[in-house]
This record gives sequence, structure tokens and C-alpha cells, in this order.
Amino acid sequence: MPFELITEPNYLRSVIRVSLTVSLTAIFVSTLVSLPIAFLIGFADFPGKRLVTAIINTGMGFPSVAVGLFVLLFISTDGPLGSLDLVYTPEAMIISQCILAAPVITGVALSAVESVDDAVRDTAYGVGGTRTDVALITLKEARYGVITGILAGFGRAISEVGSVLIVGGNIAYADGTSKTRTITTAITFETRRGEFETALALGAVLIVLVLLVNGIVMRLGGR
Amino acid sequence: MVDNYETDERPLLETTATDRHRGDQPMNLALEDVSYGVDGTEILTEISLALESGEIMTIIGPSGAGKTTLLRLAALFEQPTGGTIRYDGTDPWALSRDDRLVIRRRIGMVFQQASLFDAPVARNVDIGRRVRWPWPRRIRGFLERLLPRRFTGSPAVDERTLEALELVGLRDAWDRDPASLSGGEAQRVSFARALAVEPEVLVLDEPTSDLDPRNTAILERAIERSRERDHGVLLATHDMHQAERISDRVAVLLEGELVEVGPPGQVFEKPRDERTARFVRGDLLYDDNELPA
Repeated sequence: MPFELITEPNYLRSVIRVSLTVSLTAIFVSTLVSLPIAFLIGFADFPGKRLVTAIINTGMGFPSVAVGLFVLLFISTDGPLGSLDLVYTPEAMIISQCILAAPVITGVALSAVESVDDAVRDTAYGVGGTRTDVALITLKEARYGVITGILAGFGRAISEVGSVLIVGGNIAYADGTSKTRTITTAITFETRRGEFETALALGAVLIVLVLLVNGIVMRLGGR
Repeated sequence: MVDNYETDERPLLETTATDRHRGDQPMNLALEDVSYGVDGTEILTEISLALESGEIMTIIGPSGAGKTTLLRLAALFEQPTGGTIRYDGTDPWALSRDDRLVIRRRIGMVFQQASLFDAPVARNVDIGRRVRWPWPRRIRGFLERLLPRRFTGSPAVDERTLEALELVGLRDAWDRDPASLSGGEAQRVSFARALAVEPEVLVLDEPTSDLDPRNTAILERAIERSRERDHGVLLATHDMHQAERISDRVAVLLEGELVEVGPPGQVFEKPRDERTARFVRGDLLYDDNELPA
């Protein structure tokens, strides 16, 4: 019954709101953490750099259910973060999406930074740039790759099902609006109920949202 | 130390190095027994030379002789492993990073390959001035670029950038995309970028090696104009004719050693060192063993 979405716009709106809030917050936090790491690794030369890069690249393929389980163990009552009472909350979903998105953003951004020609750094230094200037100019030259990394991380986060299902619980309030139900977990839920049309409609909404966010970010990046 | 670039809005051609900068005179460069090595391999051995203001000194020597390394040391990209580099008698490597930056900002460097940023020509040329701006102005400039120009009232390109481009004959190219430039034009933009900050010492690493005669002539004219404005120019080249044409003095670098320094007439016609004579004759260009059978 796809038109149930239209007749119950609060449901759709709340699911979209939770999805975007969780994923955009996770991407914002991941980006803040990932870009400095990518830059530090990209600029520095140290023993074990290849190993660190390999670990980051491995992180890109973390199974989301394993991450969800890992986060759940941490935030459950007996876990180290149990006192924060995060189980089945959007905050828990943000944590798990951060863990999934951060290696993607770091890995792609690192690759973009390392692909910037040394001549660019030399030129930035040669015109009288400080180390900060050299880093900023390199970031600017690598911006398309960095944006691609952020978008890839966003794609990973918003399309994620397994970990948000485990740590978020796919919970809706009694009035049908979402507490921790995202578009992806709603699709799973509707499919299980046999409401394939509703699931398809939610899938279309998800695609439109991803396109919209990609378009905005690309536009801001000047591409 | 205070950088005064942000307050200097006079047109480039009306400004002299003498009244722009912190010293009374354009800087002099001196290398005193400078050596440089990497992982135990010595690339340069006890190089001593002095570059006066208003002088063009050309470094010639075969590939692998250490010309680029010498220029990178002179431009303070690398620290020598032995000896001392002095600008106006001061060893920049004995200074703090901030104080060394003040000296670095009085040096301009152009590389063999033009390396232009992914931005219009004008922004490539004025990058050296922008990195000298204080942060509030830089942030304001960044924010202004996000808004349509009719709201900010800022000009599309400033006069100093155009003046620098004019010196290399590319005044009208300020809004072009670097990808649309020929190799020669790109190198001329690189040159304009170095000139835009009015360096007192210009360090040029084979800037015309990939250029046609027309672009080479344009850059040589720009180099000579730098000399006319009392700037010192240190130029590495493979082109003996170029060295003879524009140099005040020529330094011959062979296998990391400076074997002779003198006027072009001396170096090319009456060299004092036998190795110089052999190099100028072309005898040192290759070993017989390297020739194909």
C-alpha cells in the first residue's frame, strides 16, 4: 500500500528526518576526524605507513553487522559506555555509522592527497607558503577526491541497514512516527510485512535524497 | 616579524625592490662551502659562490651534476648538510621558522615544469600575495568568492596581477583555465606567479628547456627586466647559447663540484679549467662506453 505514505506524511517525514539527521551527523563527525588523519598520513613519512594505509583500506570493507554488534557490546548495560544509556537511540546509530564511514572517507581522501603532484607542494612552498598554506593548497588540489570520499562515506552511511538495525532497533512510536527507524530499516520492515509497494516507494525516496545530497555537495565543491 | 605585503597596493612596475622590503638593498646570496648529501651519497661538494643584486648568474652542467639540488638549496627548500648559505650575511637556517619565512618570501622560484593550480590564471598568479595576507583578509576573500561578484563589489582581477602577467605577455589571459594554455604559456604564467611577489632573488630551474624560441625569448626578456630592477637571478640551463646570451657570470657544475665561475667570454672562449673546456667542447656529454655500438 504505497499511498499509505502519502496519507500518513508524518511517518514518511519522520523516517526521512531520522535518516538524514543520523547520516549527516555521522558524516560531519567522520569528516572532522578523517580529513586530518588523511592529511597527517599523506604528508608524513614514517615507518609502517604502508601498514597503516592497509588497515584503513581494510576498514572500508568492515561488515556492518559486525560493527553494529561491536558497538552494541560497547553501549550495552554491561559495556564500557553502558552508563550513557545509548542502546536503541539515534546516537548509537550515529556512532556505528561513523565507524563505517570514517575509513571510507580517510582512505579515499588519503589517496586523493597522495595523488597530488609533489610539484604542487613545491610550488606552494616556493611562493612563500607556510606549512599550513601548503596543506591548504594541497587540500584544494585534492578537493574532488576528498569530496568523492565524503560522498562515498555518506553513501555507505545512509544505505546502511545491519548495524543501525542492531544498535537502533528500528523503533517507531505508537503514533507511527520514527524514533530510530531509517529509510533503509523501514524498507526492510515493509518488505517483511509484504508491503512491497511501500518498500519500493521508500527506495525511490532514498535514491532521490542521495542524489540531492550529492548534487549539493558537488555544487559546493565547484564541480 | 611583520609582513608588509598586505598594505602594499602600488602597481608592480612602479615598485622597486629597494623601497618594498625590509632591507635597504635587494638581498645578496652567498654559498660558503655548501655540501649536500642524501643517505651517504654526496650530491654537492663544498660549493662557494656569491650572487650580487642585479646580476644574472647561470649554472651550466650536464644532467645529474646537481644543478637542481643547488637551486633548491639556494631557494631554501633544503638545508645543506655542510657549509652555510647566507642571505645578506645571515644564515637562514640559524633562524626560527618564522624569521626564515621572511627571507623565503623575498625569493622567487620557477621550476622546469610549469605546475599550475586548478584555478584560473589570475588566481595562480596572485597565490603568492594571497598567502601573505593576514588570516582575516584571507577568510573574507574566501567568503566573498562564495557570493556573486555584484554583491561583493570586488574586482575580478587586480591590477598587480595584470602587471605581472603583462611582464610575460599574457595580460589578456587572466581568466583562462590552465588546461587551455600551451606548455609555453603555462611556463610564462609560472614565471608571472614568481614575479608577482617581486622577489629580490629569482631562482630559475631550466625554465625554458621545453619552450619554443618565441616563448624562450619572452622569458629571457622578463629575466633581463628583473636584472634591470636590481634583482639577482640564479638560472640553471642546458642551453649554452642562452647562458652566453643573458648571463653576467656563468658557473660550471660538474659531478657536484663547481669547477669554474666567470664571465661568459671567459667560460666559453678561454676557460681556465680543463674540465670546463672539455664540457664546453662537448667532450663530457657522454662516456664512450655509453654510446650505442
